[in-house]
Amino acid sequence: MTKIKGIFSNFKRYWFLMTQLIGRDFKVKYKRSVLGILWSLLNPILTMTVMAVVFSQMFRFKVEGVNYIVYLMTGIIMFNYFSAASNAGMTSVVENFTLINKVYIPKYIFPMAKCLFVGIDFLLTLIPWLAIIGLSYVGLGQYTCHFNVYFLILPYIFLCMFLFTVGMSLLLSCLSVFLRDVWHIYGIILTLWNYLTPVFYSIEILPPKLQTLMNFNPMYQFLTAARSIVLYGQRPSFTTLSILGLIGVGMLAIGSFVFRKKQDKFIYYI
Amino acid sequence: MIKIDNVSMKFNLGIEKDFSMKQAFINLFANRKKRKKDEFWALKDVDFHVDKGEVVGLIGSNGAGKSTLLKVVSGVMKPTKGKVVVNGVISPMIELGAGFDPDLTARENIYLNGAILGYSKKFLDEKFDEIVEFSELREFLDVPIKNFSSGMTAKLAFSIATIVNPEILIVDEILSVGDIKFQEKSKNKMMEMIKGGTTVLYVSHSLQSIKDLCTKVVWLEHGKVIKMGNTKEVCDQYYKEQLG
Repeated sequence: MTKIKGIFSNFKRYWFLMTQLIGRDFKVKYKRSVLGILWSLLNPILTMTVMAVVFSQMFRFKVEGVNYIVYLMTGIIMFNYFSAASNAGMTSVVENFTLINKVYIPKYIFPMAKCLFVGIDFLLTLIPWLAIIGLSYVGLGQYTCHFNVYFLILPYIFLCMFLFTVGMSLLLSCLSVFLRDVWHIYGIILTLWNYLTPVFYSIEILPPKLQTLMNFNPMYQFLTAARSIVLYGQRPSFTTLSILGLIGVGMLAIGSFVFRKKQDKFIYYI
Repeated sequence: MIKIDNVSMKFNLGIEKDFSMKQAFINLFANRKKRKKDEFWALKDVDFHVDKGEVVGLIGSNGAGKSTLLKVVSGVMKPTKGKVVVNGVISPMIELGAGFDPDLTARENIYLNGAILGYSKKFLDEKFDEIVEFSELREFLDVPIKNFSSGMTAKLAFSIATIVNPEILIVDEILSVGDIKFQEKSKNKMMEMIKGGTTVLYVSHSLQSIKDLCTKVVWLEHGKVIKMGNTKEVCDQYYKEQLG
């Protein structure tokens, strides 16, 4: 109990530093651009448009009975968050080596700050995403999605995904201190992971065996839960919701455990 | 205040080499003894303590382990063996301007660097003007510091680092910053901080400033304590050994 208390007070103490690091990332990202922070909004809108055109018009993908554009967007924004945040988190510790070598700062701050930084971008993409759902009322896509009370569960699902991402970032950033190859390996894994997650296709097109295996893909779980709310207006079962929580907290626990165990060794590998 | 208990710090000089397939393969067959050669003890059984209000100077030639010792005390490094106990809030002035981002303005960097040094937002808001005043850089507040000269950057860094009144101060030779005028000013500021009853661990190559400030001196060489005690005695012997 005191340990948990300690973690929280530590968190509070370094929260200001966290906001400063996130602020730095934002300022540096939008330096010298005319539209500045607007890009955080424009970028997902434009990317989404491209993706929507490519998959629904050129490849003629569809998923029976649902609005394909919303189906695709939900998958893309969620998977993109995970992929961008875990990637940035992974490199964050090594990138801040000069700092780590000079001042004492709890090292988990760096992957954490990256996950939050990309998280803000993610929250901004929710605006065009919600707009697309709204547009389905006036005929965007074949089917209409309905805003419903279960949308209130979405923050919980996103939180679970966030915890999962932080856990992954802690684990990867720690591993990559000792073995820089992790950076390259993870890049490939992410590409593979992206295709193995039903982001733009429906799981039904897979052979039954793969469909069962898919249950072990955490990203599939997050995506499916969110989609069942947005596309079908159905509340995910309590079992599903607990599993999501377990995935998030579990990954965070694994990541923190490894990170804590190894963080004092980082300094030797600078 | 600061208790340094039999502290040893080992570095593995071979780490860089290990990161190649060839070396990994060779290591499979190389005998352990040979690998031991790559070990380097930056500190070996260093043992002393600094009482409240004491000003302790660290001397020794380059690579003697002074900076490593400061890093161990400030918590940047965990010692391989031994233990360091510190009671009180430390303000480590080991490297100035840690985490300065060249793309950010001086104003933004004051907050970023302040946060890295562990200051709170409230504290920085209160002291902002004082920092700016001391740095003499008011007209450049909104200029990215990549456009600063190195002297200007150092002045800014010094002003941020010395704004606190810490219980324990760790200083690694940073008195000579900026132009002559600023050097004098920063020197006075340091004196003021040191003489204000804080506990100080001070590294310098200037024996004169050590003699001026320190109540006790520790002489390090190859990671080991050669001699410690009375300031004048140790300094004189050190001087003789180095140049005599």
